[in-house]
Order: sequence, then C-alpha cells, then structure tokens
Amino acid sequence: MASLTLSRRSILLAAGATALSRSLAFAQSGRIAKIGLVQSTTGGSAALYGIEQKQGIELAFAEINAAKTLKDITLQTIHADDGADRGQTVNIFQRLIRQDNVVAILGPTLSNSAFAADPIAQQAGIPVIASSNTAPNLTKIGDFIFRTSVPEDQVFPTVLRYAVKTRGIKRVALIYGLDDALTRSAHDVQKKAVADLGLEQVGVESYQRGDVDFSAQLTKIREQKPDAIILGTLAEEAAAILRQARQLGFDSKVAFIGCNANISAKLFELAGPAANGIIVGAAWFAGFDSPRSKAFVEAYRKRYGTTPDIYAAQGYDAAYLLAEAIRRADDVSNGKLVRDKLASISDFEGVLGRFGWSVDRDATVQPKVLIGDGDSKVFVAAPTS
Amino acid sequence: MIDLFEAYHNVIDLCLLNSVLAYGCFLLLGVNLFSLATGGLMAIGAYLSIWLTMQQGWAFAPALLAAAVAASLAALGLGSLVLRLRGDYFTMATLAFTEVVRIIALNWNSVTGGALGIFGIPKLAETWQLALLLVLVIYLVWAVRSSGIGERMRAVAADELAVSTAGYDVAHFKLAIFTVSGAIAGLGGGLAAHLNMFVAPGDFGFLRSFDTVIAPVLGGAWNIAGPVIGATLLTVLPEALRFSAQMREILVGSALLVAVLFLPTGVASLPTVLRRKWSI
Amino acid sequence: MLLQQFVNGLSLGAVYAVFAIGFSLVFGVMNVLNLSQGAVFMWGAYVGLEVVRNLALPLPLAILAAGIAAGLLGVLSELLVFRPLQRRGANRWMGMVGSLALARILIGLAQEIFGTQVVRYPDNALAGAAIDLFGARLQLLQVVAIGVAFTMVVALAALLRFSNLGRAIRTVAFSESVARLVGIPVDRVRLATFFVSGALAGGAGVLWSLLFQSVSPFMGDSILLKGLTVMILGGLGNIVGALVGGLLLGLVEVASIVAVGSGYRDAIGFGLVLLILVTRPTGLFATRETKRA
Repeated sequence: MASLTLSRRSILLAAGATALSRSLAFAQSGRIAKIGLVQSTTGGSAALYGIEQKQGIELAFAEINAAKTLKDITLQTIHADDGADRGQTVNIFQRLIRQDNVVAILGPTLSNSAFAADPIAQQAGIPVIASSNTAPNLTKIGDFIFRTSVPEDQVFPTVLRYAVKTRGIKRVALIYGLDDALTRSAHDVQKKAVADLGLEQVGVESYQRGDVDFSAQLTKIREQKPDAIILGTLAEEAAAILRQARQLGFDSKVAFIGCNANISAKLFELAGPAANGIIVGAAWFAGFDSPRSKAFVEAYRKRYGTTPDIYAAQGYDAAYLLAEAIRRADDVSNGKLVRDKLASISDFEGVLGRFGWSVDRDATVQPKVLIGDGDSKVFVAAPTS
Repeated sequence: MIDLFEAYHNVIDLCLLNSVLAYGCFLLLGVNLFSLATGGLMAIGAYLSIWLTMQQGWAFAPALLAAAVAASLAALGLGSLVLRLRGDYFTMATLAFTEVVRIIALNWNSVTGGALGIFGIPKLAETWQLALLLVLVIYLVWAVRSSGIGERMRAVAADELAVSTAGYDVAHFKLAIFTVSGAIAGLGGGLAAHLNMFVAPGDFGFLRSFDTVIAPVLGGAWNIAGPVIGATLLTVLPEALRFSAQMREILVGSALLVAVLFLPTGVASLPTVLRRKWSI
Repeated sequence: MLLQQFVNGLSLGAVYAVFAIGFSLVFGVMNVLNLSQGAVFMWGAYVGLEVVRNLALPLPLAILAAGIAAGLLGVLSELLVFRPLQRRGANRWMGMVGSLALARILIGLAQEIFGTQVVRYPDNALAGAAIDLFGARLQLLQVVAIGVAFTMVVALAALLRFSNLGRAIRTVAFSESVARLVGIPVDRVRLATFFVSGALAGGAGVLWSLLFQSVSPFMGDSILLKGLTVMILGGLGNIVGALVGGLLLGLVEVASIVAVGSGYRDAIGFGLVLLILVTRPTGLFATRETKRA
C-alpha cells in the first residue's frame, strides 16, 4: 500500500512540474488560450470516434500554433477522457470550467454526454463545439452550443434518392441500433425518408449496443426479399452485418445503404470485400477533391500514419473555426466574446467545403454520395448521372 | 475555495447520493441478502418522479415521496416472490428484475423516451438536500441497528433457522427490511434523475445495482461507516486517477484489489488493522 | 427459415454453454462466483488472435495457446484473489469484489496493449465455408461451435466421473475439510479447477470471435451476465445443466428476436429466469443443491 501511494505522489509531482514549466514557458512569450478537449478515448465504440476527433483537433492546433496565425496567443488543449460515461462528462466539464478556466470546449463525443454536460457550459457562458453529436435538438440547449457534425437529415434523403434512381429500389428493410442516440436518430431520419419516397418497408429489425450476432435479424429480413437494406448503425456493427449477410447468402443484387457513422476506415478493415458497393452519404470523405481537404488528409497521414475519417475532418474544422473566433475576439478568457465571434463566422472555407452556421448553429454542407470499394478499401464518389 | 467546490460539485453530489443508496443495500447485507434490485427500483422511482415534476407539475418533495412509495411497493411485490429463494438464487432473481425493468424502460418510448432518454429535467436536487438525507439515513440505520430490530437482524444473519424455530416470523421480517431498502432506492432514483438533467435506461441496469451493493461490501458490510466509505471510494477513485488517462482502469482495479486483499473485512477496518500492526 | 434460426440459436447457445461450463465448475467446487471470467474470455480471444496474426500459426494451435493462456489467467484469479481471501476469512462477497477488480485490471491491460478498437480474426479456411441444407445455410463455424460444446461437456463429465483428478475435484466440491482429511492436495485441486475453467472461457472467446468476427476489450462484459443466466437455468454448479441451459438460452434469444424483436430479447431471457426461480427455486436441474446457495 505504501509503495502505491509513493508512486502516485511522484506521478502527481511530475505532472504538476510539467504543467507548471509549460505555463511558465508560455507566460514569457504570450497569452494561452486553454481549450477543453473532451473526447472519449476509452469506453467502447465511442473511442473510435473520439480518438479521430482528438487527433484532428490536435493536428489543427499544432498547425495554427506553428504558423502563429493567432500572433501571440497559443492554443493549448486540455484533454479529458470521459470513457463514454456521461456522469464523468459532467464532472469533466465542471473541472475544466471552474478549475482549469478553459475558454471553450471541443466535444463531447457522444450526444448522450452532450445532453448532460452542455447545460453546464451554457450556464457558465463557455462555448462548446461538437464534431460528432448528431442527435436532434442538441443545439436547442442554448446559444453557446455549436456543431460541425452534419446531422443525418441533411444527408440521407439525398443518398436514398440516388439509390432509388440508380438501382430501382422499391422494397426496403431497415436495421438499427436501439440504445444509442446516434443510431436511433439516424433510423428515424431513414424511416421518414423511406416514407417520403413512397417505398415499401418490408421489415424493421433492431439490435443493442455490443451485439455482434445479427444472424437472427438478417435471417428474418432475408425472408422478406427486400431490394435494399438500410443500416442505422455504427461502423463496427455495419461491418458485421455486411459480413454476416454475405455468409447467410444474401443475393448480391441487394443494395446496402448506410448512414453517416459508417464512414470509417474501420468498416473496410472489419468487413473486407463484403463492404463492396455500400452506398453512404456524408458531408466529407477522404477522397474529396478540394485542395484544403487534400492538404488535410496528407498532413494527417504524415502525423498519425492513418487516413482520417469524417469525424477527424469535422474536428479539424471545429478547431479551425474556434481558432478563428479567438483570433477575432483577440481574447483568451472571455467565453461570451469568443462565442459571439464564433457565431458571426459565415463563409468558412473548411475541409468539409464552404459552410456557415444554420440558424440553430449547425453546420450546413452539401452532402456527397459515396460508394464503398471493398478492394481498395476506400469510399469513392458516386457517379452522378 | 468556492471554485474548488464548484469544480468538484458533481463529484461531491454523486458521493452523497451513492452513499445514501449504499445504505439501502447495507440493511439487506445485514440479514445476509445480496440484492441486485437497486437499479430496477431506482428506475421506477426515477421515471415516476420525472413524470410527476415534468408532466404533472408537482413540487420536488411530493414527487420524491411518491417515488419512494412506488419503489417500496415494487419491492414488496418482488420480495414476496423471491425472498424465499436461497442465497445466490435470490441474488439472481433480483438481477433478473433489474434487467427486466431496464429493458422495459428501453422500449417504452412514450414514457421513458426509450434509449434516447429524457433530457431537460429540472435540476432540483441540491447538495444540502443530499447531505441532509444522508445524515438522516445514517441516523435511522444506526438507531435500527442499536435497537431490538438490529439484534434480530444479527441473529437472522448468524442462524436463520434457529431464529425461525424460536418462533419469529423471519420471512415477514426480511420482507419489511426489503421494502424499506426499496424505499431508499426509489428515493435515490428520484434524486439521481433530477441531478444531471438527463436520464437514460442504461443508468439503471446491472452495473448500477452492482456498484451500489459493492460499496458497503468494500467499505465494510458490518460497520456503520462502511457504506459511506465504500461509496466515496468508488466514486472518487476514477476521478482522482483521471490524470493517468489510458492506465486509469488498471490503476482503479489495482487500488480496489489492494484494498480487498489488505482489508478483507472492509476498508472501515483500517484503523483497527493499523492499530493492531503498530501495537506489535 | 425455421431451420436456419434453429441453427443460429443453437450455435450461439453452444458458445454460451462452453463459457458457462467453466463458470459453473468453479462455483460447484468452491462456491464462489469468479467475476473475472468475462475478462478471461476476452483475453483468450486476443491471445488466439495474436498467435494467428503475428506468429502466423494455424488456427488449432492458436486455440490451444488461447486455452493455455486463459487457463493461466484463471489460476491467477485463484492465487491473487480467492485463496488469499479464504485465508483471511473474508466473506463470500469480498471474492466478488476482488474478482471484479481483477477483471478491471485485465480489461485495462487489454486496452493498453491491444487498443480499444474492434478487430477481427484474419480470413481463414473456416470462415466462409457453409453447407446449404433444406433452404438453410449452415456455416461450418456454427457446426464446429456446437460440436465443441458437446465435446467439452462429455470430456469434462468423463474427467469428473472416471479420472483421479475428477474424483478429487468432486470430493473437494463436497467438502474441503473432508478432502483434506483423506489427504487430497486441496490447493492443487483448486488450481486445476481454475485452470480448466479459465481454459474453457478462453476457448469460448476464440469461438465467439470466429463466429462473429469481432474482438474487443469489452466483449467479456455481456457474456458474464449470460453466464450467470445459464447457470441459473441449468442449476448452479451443474455441468450438464450448463450445456442444456446454454443451448436453451441461445434458442430463446433467437426466438425472441424472431417473434418480438431484439429490444425485448434479454428481457425474455431474464423473465424466463424469474419464472423458473419462482416456480422451481433451485433451477431446472435440482441436483445436490442442499449445500449450495
């Protein structure tokens, strides 16, 4: 017991010394803008998205600090992992705001956590920019809450229309995750789009977080002989469903239509060739043909050795937006001022393209339809007819 | 000082709340009942209190009372069915109850919002209320334990067969204690719901039940301070070790394991153990 | 479709059974619930994965390696948690807390070493193979899973019944003091029991990962609950009961998805448990249960 306490104390001392020396070093050369980076790096599949965003944000800040875009202001991130547990997110927000005195927060990863913790930031007057919350009504919490994660209802209808036009789809089955805000809301959007286009819904199946066996649901769906299966799932489950569908002998003419969250290198890693032909829509993909996007992808690859996914891109843009707001405010401690400057940004040239804020402080971007290429393990832009 | 309090405000609130809940399980451990029903009973209390404050415009106190009553009724019903089961079977039955309640909540979209949960719950639970409640609960438990009821509890824990042969109605006795513990769980559920402005069914499952019952065990299942110590330790440890980031799970697990091995009768026995070691 | 779903349920249940048998063994012999069993399940899957991926060894060897590694982890839980607690006269519940703490350490280690993301076994001969029978597609893996479950039960039952070790285990299960009196090395028997139970959990982990192409540090969390459910269905400490209970649970789960939808799947399983407990308080297969519970 004694040795444990000692080592813990020495770790604390070391951490304290490092923090002190860092702030001393910066205090000599200028102001520091402290920004809370609340992204899950543990806690199940949330970590998949959290890590990407953390990396995207850190890359952005490294670039901005190196280029001295903010002159004498240095951006410093304070990362905290909430383990996808919203009780912890609340604790983290309180600590970041009251003790660490951050001027803004980037995150959190999960919409559930955001619902619990964002009100604290709203009350304290600290702006929050999320890059992976897609649940509806989130920004209604208050005017300090912003999102660069494009909600599903801006993307899916375009995708579905494309699929219907090019594949002549009439009968669809839906499968979705019951107990996750992201997949549930994706499913609601998908159901509505199906109804709006007048398609026949032949089956709806669900599963729960952590499930890996979809044979029962897929077998049920197979009986109904749909033309397309619509997935309201996270990337890992999508991969499992694609594989297991192949194993169960689904007709290769059946189209698989996914949602925002499926766009991840993980999908190909887990599904392999089974991911061939999956149709998704996104605000962005790694092969997006724009100079800004290409530069970002290359910088990301150089720094981390992997290809960024959409969440990294959205995080990157959120970071740049925040930096721009701080630059305009020329202040590192006034949350309200930063927030006002942030809201005033309208024609932002980001990795996602050119976008501004909607009236509800959501990002507004042109969706792109993508097809999965299982052999090259990338998404390619769908040929527009 | 105020800022420090604000920074850890939620942690303090959670410690208080978890301690209150832990006492509910503590009572049951006193008669050798390892119950995992806390999650399900909390859920009943939570969703009822939310419905009352948000849809019916009730004030907080009456809503909490209703929550406690509803949960105790559920405990009464559950208890009459499962208290006659022996040891581990009883535990499993309570676990099954909690999970069934959680799953119903998960699917009953119109009332509980399903998986998406309910947000925008007014933050009515205050720190002073929690602190007051904890003090009250500790006093009540202490009073019970020092009274004749407490004696009978210890007797039942020691040898249930002997007590019932002596003519006491052990079954009804255990049912009464189970019902009281249910009331505490319901109360805790109502408070938890109004603490973080958001609830989801995942808050009230197996893990919640387990964490609640582990607290008094870790702290000391027969020591009156056990539940507070255990609950505080379990709540604070992940927060205190936050700096360790990736290693945190390993450190928390190690800390708990060390506590269990060196203080096998509970952390509350630390002063006694130290005294014994130093007196030699 | 019915045949297909039946096979789905049976193979799922088979993996549950293999896991639960180990769980049940430890409970039957030592009357403790080893809650680190889920983490051991997960570690077995990872060890097998590493053997296949990095050492490029064939699958059967990987399964063997996984079983041995997992068995050693089982032994670890005895040496680190249960034996010390027994020596210090702790109550049963402390064993649960201790094994849970150990589980957290194991999960944390897996996160550190392997990362938090889901990975899968590389494609192998078993993966795609399937036979079409009466309109149902039976994957070779599903058949293998069911086969393994039955083999394990038969092997274990035979071990317990006919071998010296088996006799020793049964004596220890009956009473440790009696076993010591007749000169049985109780400590070593306990170690052997934990080893076997760990190996079974690890083997189940590999089976699971192959069937569902998924390995993650958190895969053990839900299986633990299933294991408890199976034990109740089959009777605490009953090996054959664990097999029947496991298969039954798998079938019930698939049937619920077919009939009602995935949302209530677990509720039906737990509802069944409640029903059985209320009507038959010692589980479906009440054997020598008087000393247990």
